[in-house]
Amino acid sequence: MSCIIAHSLSKSYGDTGAVRGVDLDVRPGQVFGFLGPNGAGKSTTIKLLTTLIPPTSGTLSVLGMDAAREPLAIRSRIGVVLQQPSYEPTLSVEKSFEKYGMMWNVPKPERKARMERLLADFDLGDIRKKRNEDLSIGQRRRVQVAREFMHDMDLLFLDEPTVGLDPNARRNLLDYLRARVATGLTIFYTTHILSEAEYLCDMVAIISKGRIITVDTPDALKSRFGSQKTINIHTDGDPAAMAPLLSGIRGCTVEEGGIKIQSEDAESVLLGVLQILNERSITIQDISAVPTNLEDIFLRMVGGNAPDN
Amino acid sequence: MHPIIRLTNRNLTISLHPGFLIWQIIFPLIYIFVAGFAYAPLIQSVPLGARDLDYPAFLASGMIGFNIMNSTLVSGIIIWNDRRHGMFEQIMSGPFTRAQYILSNICTIWIIGIISATLIALVGYPVFFDSIEFSLVTIPLIIFGAVTGSILFGSLASIISTRLQSSEGFNVVINTVFLFFAFVSTAFYPAEGAPEPLRSIFYLNPLTYLVDVIRAGIFGTFTEFVFYEMLVLLGLAAALFAVASKLLTRLDF
Repeated sequence: MSCIIAHSLSKSYGDTGAVRGVDLDVRPGQVFGFLGPNGAGKSTTIKLLTTLIPPTSGTLSVLGMDAAREPLAIRSRIGVVLQQPSYEPTLSVEKSFEKYGMMWNVPKPERKARMERLLADFDLGDIRKKRNEDLSIGQRRRVQVAREFMHDMDLLFLDEPTVGLDPNARRNLLDYLRARVATGLTIFYTTHILSEAEYLCDMVAIISKGRIITVDTPDALKSRFGSQKTINIHTDGDPAAMAPLLSGIRGCTVEEGGIKIQSEDAESVLLGVLQILNERSITIQDISAVPTNLEDIFLRMVGGNAPDN
Repeated sequence: MHPIIRLTNRNLTISLHPGFLIWQIIFPLIYIFVAGFAYAPLIQSVPLGARDLDYPAFLASGMIGFNIMNSTLVSGIIIWNDRRHGMFEQIMSGPFTRAQYILSNICTIWIIGIISATLIALVGYPVFFDSIEFSLVTIPLIIFGAVTGSILFGSLASIISTRLQSSEGFNVVINTVFLFFAFVSTAFYPAEGAPEPLRSIFYLNPLTYLVDVIRAGIFGTFTEFVFYEMLVLLGLAAALFAVASKLLTRLDF
């Protein structure tokens, strides 16, 4: 059974369509990445999926329950870390964990044990007595994410959870999430940091202007849309002098940093470039091939070059 | 544990910090023991129904209503802070309904209102114990005043917190409104003897009704007029609660 099934889900504010006909099928035990540029409709989609706001049209089932009829039952089995910070300024970190567990009806001895575990897992021991209002943005974000694990859940929504985190804390969080997914948790993860999605997600959907452009695994996306290869060549030649020589080769550009080849037939283009450089006795300093990553695909797709889904 | 109890527990934890409690006691103490005795030579006695009270006793009893009003500001502050710091959205994405959120705020106001009234009654007891006339009728009057007054002023603070966007605006409006209520009422001075139109304006202020009902409860001066004041208090509390609930229900994310 799927964790989330959405059909033609839409949300409009007046004449503006924030989410337009979104279809989703999120399977249990996977990390489903939801990627999109700022203002693409990621947060609105999360608010719809968590039943915080009702859709203008479409149907939604979460954990097998109809979102229109059983929103409270759905919210009892999900965890949500929204993009916006959420904290009680006057409470200490440990008090806010304790109270959050109490709000979720976690028995008192269990609350204490979970809090200690989370403080250790998220490296929050040093700031456990600090008030939330005295924390840095990154610390507050870590507390917010860690606090959500005070209660049990089948499905966790994370809306850009690594915003404000340093690289170390970011990697720790991603590894922690991976470990939780291994125990059966399903995660719906929005981000615009593509390396995170590549590291963490089993499936990826790209949304732009309220519509889903594509849904697939990161590897499948790369093989589907990553046929264009990039090769960088550094030479001792003057870029201004080389530009007219290479202007006739399709897929090849001369930039300040060197020659850049971007083509589905990059190998043939490379041969042509090498021949011209050889004829002019221009010395090649290095050649590097850049593997296609999710970021390239993302930029191409949201830039309007995407094929129809 | 029921969700309303859990939310009330959380509300009380974030509201009842030592600073708040000290402010809730110190502030009225200064009024009762400094202003009360300092003004006593100027105001020899205050007529209340068929009897005369000394000014400190009159003021101490007025401070109970004043303190209930002040403490219920908490309701507005909870909602304001929850919106400002993302907790409203966080709570609503959890196993709670908006109705439960609203009712938990009302429970919080009741509890704080009653604690507040009790604290001031205890603190003010030495001042007005000579004049107290408790009976089976008067004690429920005090409880009625504490509960309806809490809902009335708590709802008003909630309405303000749902309408305003900036923290500066919230602070200015809430302080202005509550300052007007505090000083244009019978909490500090009697309506009798005040010049018109001030005397009439006193009765446009719900704090006047609250204070009158509580005084009637403490000093056993229940009259037909106090009964009408109770009705006004009840009607206003119900109306403002309905408006506050409606606004909270509509609050967007």
